[in-house]
Order: sequence, then structure tokens, then C-alpha cells
Amino acid sequence: MNTRVKICKLGDISPGEMRAVDMAGLKPIALFNLDGTHYATSNICTHNIAMLTDGYFEGEVVECPLHGGSFDIKTGEPLSFPCEIALQTYPVIVEGDDVYIEAEVGV
Amino acid sequence: MNNSFSIKIDGTGEEFSVANDTLLGAALRQGLGFPYECNSGGCGSCMFEVVSGDVKELWPDAPGLSARARERGRRLACQCEPASDCVIKVRLKSDYVPLHRPARVTATLVEARKLTHDLTEFCFQTPEPADFLPGQFALLHLPSVEGARAYSMSNLPADGGTWNFIIRHVPKGRGTAVLFTQLKTGDQIKIDGPYGLAYLRPESPRDIVCIGGGSGLSPMVSIVRAAVRDPRLIDRKITFFYGARTPNDLCTEELLARDPLMAERATVIPAISTPTEGWQGEQGFIHEVMQKKLAAGFENYEFYCCGPPPMTDAIQRLLLLDKRVPAQQLHFDRFY
Repeated sequence: MNTRVKICKLGDISPGEMRAVDMAGLKPIALFNLDGTHYATSNICTHNIAMLTDGYFEGEVVECPLHGGSFDIKTGEPLSFPCEIALQTYPVIVEGDDVYIEAEVGV
Repeated sequence: MNNSFSIKIDGTGEEFSVANDTLLGAALRQGLGFPYECNSGGCGSCMFEVVSGDVKELWPDAPGLSARARERGRRLACQCEPASDCVIKVRLKSDYVPLHRPARVTATLVEARKLTHDLTEFCFQTPEPADFLPGQFALLHLPSVEGARAYSMSNLPADGGTWNFIIRHVPKGRGTAVLFTQLKTGDQIKIDGPYGLAYLRPESPRDIVCIGGGSGLSPMVSIVRAAVRDPRLIDRKITFFYGARTPNDLCTEELLARDPLMAERATVIPAISTPTEGWQGEQGFIHEVMQKKLAAGFENYEFYCCGPPPMTDAIQRLLLLDKRVPAQQLHFDRFY
């Protein structure tokens, strides 16, 4: 079952920036600010374990630091070799000043 | 000849100078938090963008740089020397500011202790103190070997100017061929270090789990030996899982015999991955053995691991995805 989890305040992440969400009970999640709209995906590259937030975020694309594979941050779709499996995406909700995601919590 | 170049980091006001050094080495030596991991061209963590100026690549085919990244003007800081003043783009991170700034020193081989048929502990001495954190690594520049080799220290930094490395003899490896067959007691090499972020965090309130595979033994021995001696960790449970292929590849008994305090304070669990007649201990991949032994409460540990990439990948999958342990509690450096 999905739970709403508060991640940060609006404005904590500037447009064009990304941040790793690293909380016990949650899988690693990457939060992106694309021109003021927040998107959340799994932070683990589906090709080989690596943190996408250690890579590059340009336009609507995040590029893995390890082998240069990339994903569409809005849909999670893989865009370039060697990534073939889509990233899990998470709904992002903004309420007032707070940014939440909906995700499964616990082991 | 002027070999010193200025590197400006675009949009930050930061600047550093590089003289006969890699961009990464020079930045860290000057105390900048330049992101990196393997310092060997394999991982891609030290990627930066050249905005202006020329750089010379030491290893143009380094696997850590994809064709796509290269097309976009990115390079690996650990494999580049400047050929002119440059402006680069990189996001410095405070985590990477070195606690002990890396230095290049001349070291003398004082002893080579054979641990198993293919593992030997090489002991080097430097006039300078060996200032490093348990779990860190250094780059070894060996005579007549192109490029540096990254190895983790196995001893404690308090040992004065001593740098020990447990190294596995790699068949056909040019670096280990020199170490195992040519280098003699009294010979000198260059050591550049320390590097790495997978060091012991004595301030963490959690119990400690170390996982080593193959020559990943070296930094884990340093971490366990430091942890059992740290007064801040007196109440912590310290468990060390060590995975090898067969009983012949294990040397945990000998290491424990050499350090009675480690034997007393730490629980050491060796495991072999190849079924062997007469073996009474744990069998299976080391992450499976760890999962079975810990059973639950994975989020209550600080994990340190070192080993071949399939091992560190399996451990990350288990801990980050299945057990949902925060990534901050998992410490390892990625080597290829």
C-alpha cells in the first residue's frame, strides 16, 4: 500500500536540480525539479546498480554516471544504451510549501 | 618550462592549480571536494565538462567515459592532465573534501608476507607518517608499469609511516607481476594517497557489519582492526563476513591469530562459494550468508564492503532495494 511521505520543502531543490531521497523504509528515490515541476523516480539505474543523482540531469533526461545510459525523468522510460528497463516513477504531490511522494514504505 | 596550469570551475569562483598531476589529484591535494570514487578510470564518478582550454587524456579508452559523454565534452578528472589553463564545469560536494589531503611519497618495501597461495600482504615504509582513514586506498606507481594501481591499506594509520596492502596475484596482471615476482625488499615505489570514502565512521551509533570478498579483504581488515580499538565503539557489535572461493583461499584464522583483540571483539564469519568436502563452515555467496545470519533489522547497521563488482552489486541490491537501508549507511568504493 502506498503512503504519502514528506520529502522536502518547495524551493529546497532549484529548477534543473535533482536530489537523492535516502530514508529508511523507502527504496532509493531521485527527486527532480524540471522548470518548477517536481518528478520522482527510482534512483537506481536499471542496467547496473548506480545512483542516478550522481550522474547528469539535463533537460528532461537523467544520465547514469556509470555507463552513460539515460532515462526520461517524467516517464522513467530508458532513452539510451545500455538501459532497457524503465525506472519506477512515483507520484509527487505539492501541498502548500511541502513536497510529498506516494510510495510503499517498509520492508 | 611552465608546467603549472590554472583551472577555474565555471560559475563558482573556485580555482586550483595543476602541475604534473591529474585534475582530480590536484583538486583533492588543494582540499577541494571534487567527486570521485575509483580514481582509476573505471567508474565515471569524477566526470567533468571542459568549457574552455585543452586537456591531455592519460587513458582515452577508460571504461568510465561513454561515447555519449565524450561527445558532450566531458572527461574523467582522474585521467586528465591540463595542457593549458582551463575552465571546467563540475559540481563540488562537501562529502569529498579530503580529511587527509593525498600526497605523493616514496615508499620502501620492507616485507612481503604470504597469506594464501595468491594473497600476499606487502608492507611499505615512508619517512612521512601514513595519514589515512581505515578503509581508504592509495595509488601505487610501480617501476616499469604504465599507469597506477589502486590498492586499499590493510593496516592502521597509527602505525607511523607504514602502508600495508593485501593484494591478490592476478594471472597476467602487469601490476601484480611486478609486485609478486620482481619487487624485492629495499626496492622503492611511489605511493599516492590516501583516497576513498569507504572509511570507518566511528561516530555512527549503529552496530558494524563488514563484508569482504577476495582481495576486498584488505580495507575490511583495516576497518575491523580500527573499530575494535576505538573507545567510541566499545558497545558496538562488530561482525566481519569474508567470502572466498575455497578453504584454500581463506586466511582469516591467521589474521585473527595475529590480532588477539580482533579475535576477542569481532565476530568473524568466513564462507566459501565452491562446495568443498570436509568444509564445516558457511557456504554460499557472502551476501547470502550475511542475509541469513543477520536475519532482520538491516536498517540498524552501518555496512562497509569491498570486493569484486558482482559482489558489491548484489549487496547493494539486497540492502538498498530489498531491505531499504538508507544508502548513507552503506560504504564502499567501486572498482572495475
